[in-house]
Amino acid sequence: MDCEPIIRCQSVAKSYWRGSLEIPVLQGLDLEIPSGGYVALMGPSGSGKTTLLNLIAGIDRPTGGRLEVCGTHLNDLDDDDLAAWRATHVGFIFQNYNLVPVLTAYENVELPLLLANLSRRERRERVLEALERVDLLDRLENRPGQLSGGQEQRVAIARAIVTDPDLLVADEPTGALDAKNAEEVMALLENLNGEWGKTILLVTHDPKAAHHARVQIHLEKGVLDRTVEVNR
Amino acid sequence: MKYLALVLRSLFRSKRRTVLTVLFLAVSVFLVAILQSVLATLEGFANNPNASSRVAVRHKVSITNLLPLRYGDWIRQQPEVEAAMGLQWFGGVYQDPRNFFANFAAEPEAIVTIFKEEIVTYSEAEFRDFLRDRNGCIVGQSLAAKYGWKVGDVVPLKGTIFPMDPRLTVRGIWRSRRQVDEQALYFHHKLLEESVPWMEGRVGAFWVRIKHPDDVPAFIERADRHFSDAVEPTQSETENAFQLNFLKMMGDIATIIHAITMAVLAALLIVTANTMAMAIRERTTEVAVFRAMGFTSWQVLGILLAEGILLALLGGAGGIGLAWLGAGLIKTGLGSAIPWLVDFAIPKETLLLCLHATMGLGFLSTLLPAWRAVRRPIVDGLRAL
Repeated sequence: MDCEPIIRCQSVAKSYWRGSLEIPVLQGLDLEIPSGGYVALMGPSGSGKTTLLNLIAGIDRPTGGRLEVCGTHLNDLDDDDLAAWRATHVGFIFQNYNLVPVLTAYENVELPLLLANLSRRERRERVLEALERVDLLDRLENRPGQLSGGQEQRVAIARAIVTDPDLLVADEPTGALDAKNAEEVMALLENLNGEWGKTILLVTHDPKAAHHARVQIHLEKGVLDRTVEVNR
Repeated sequence: MKYLALVLRSLFRSKRRTVLTVLFLAVSVFLVAILQSVLATLEGFANNPNASSRVAVRHKVSITNLLPLRYGDWIRQQPEVEAAMGLQWFGGVYQDPRNFFANFAAEPEAIVTIFKEEIVTYSEAEFRDFLRDRNGCIVGQSLAAKYGWKVGDVVPLKGTIFPMDPRLTVRGIWRSRRQVDEQALYFHHKLLEESVPWMEGRVGAFWVRIKHPDDVPAFIERADRHFSDAVEPTQSETENAFQLNFLKMMGDIATIIHAITMAVLAALLIVTANTMAMAIRERTTEVAVFRAMGFTSWQVLGILLAEGILLALLGGAGGIGLAWLGAGLIKTGLGSAIPWLVDFAIPKETLLLCLHATMGLGFLSTLLPAWRAVRRPIVDGLRAL
């Protein structure tokens, strides 16, 4: 890991409260992930891997420590600035795809671009480029209900990359897919990392999926357990 | 505009729910528009701009008590007065009680002066014939056309208040600017006096035209003071106030209509709020995904509010369209039976009220569920089923 870190966690902590009971999820975690890295966060349920992903992606806030992602100290941003930061720097891939069911594949991919100051023509170019990368140019007008699970996830990946973010975060992206589609999605992510230089942070239980990453970070009860370089 | 497609698609996410909600809104707005228009029509009847120089002098106790006809002599001598006449609601029925129209016994000499804004076009020769014929009458053009009356035809009326059934000869037909002002019949008060002994020298009210509207308060004050110690004291009021009192005899219509309107709007708010709450709750995860992608809470709130307002506007527009069609049906259907409705229409103010009310409903019904949705932490929204 000789590149400049794109993610830097310093003593990051996160607790949830159930009434007066504090439930610590992350406990003073220190972590650096280099730009262009492909990291799989692993660990048993409740180990804090999704929480860590959410903090790094800027959709949740730590209760302690500092987070620097893509050169920005996330602790210093208010909600609106954090939203603007996410729009520019982070692409999300969810387990259940979370496409808008009433929009076509094209319109779903176009959604994040509505926040950018782009003309309709510029948006169209970018959407087509993103859909070409996931090999779905022939499904532009299909709605999510007319696509297979694998195709839906590829549309979701196109939506995640259409703004050309520095960081892609994926929470169990193959959790709802069969083995064949899961393999295709993982290959696609690997390609985005290898050929397009996207930093990818992946949360997974699946050792096969994790094997596509270059580094596996194992969490245990909210602390870093071990880091494993993947030999392929 | 770039969010319009998104708003429209989201609106029709559940077509059946949206269509049913729009239909409910449309029917409710139709009801409100018609009720408010009826009220506006009645209020317009009691706010006739033509009547600003006219005063009704009636018995202080009630409009059913009679005044001596000789009061007219004193009234005509007042410096502010241009003309005055005794006027008595006759309430006669032509052939069938459903054929309702206003018919009055009047001292006819000054009728054209007093009602010059209503009796606009007429034949002086016909009016001279009317003045000469004790059994003659004059009618408005719309009324004459409705029953096919021509000059020279005999109109038999059956008295409902007075024990007389006059057979009146149409001597003149006048035209007005509005159909609603062509819905009356006037005959000689002398005929009423001759036929009904207790009406001799007595009349229900005096209709007085004041030379200048500014002098109306002074005349009212002097007339009522002058007759205050008489056996039959007077209450003078503008024609509009008189009409309003007349309408109040039918009950406090305005209060009833406003109460119904408020009840309908409250029901609308509850139903629309419930619909929007369901629609937004179903999209908890979607809202979270939007925010994760970088939409701010305000942007998502704006999209959801636009959806709610658009839904309400669709219903409102449908209701206004129905009301417009309904107004035409009321005008042609009921206008012939109820003269007040002959010019029935949905006033611009009512249209604006309905439009603003539906927009307000859309906003209010969406605001709370939308606000709760966008304030929910993103991670909670993503976990929601």
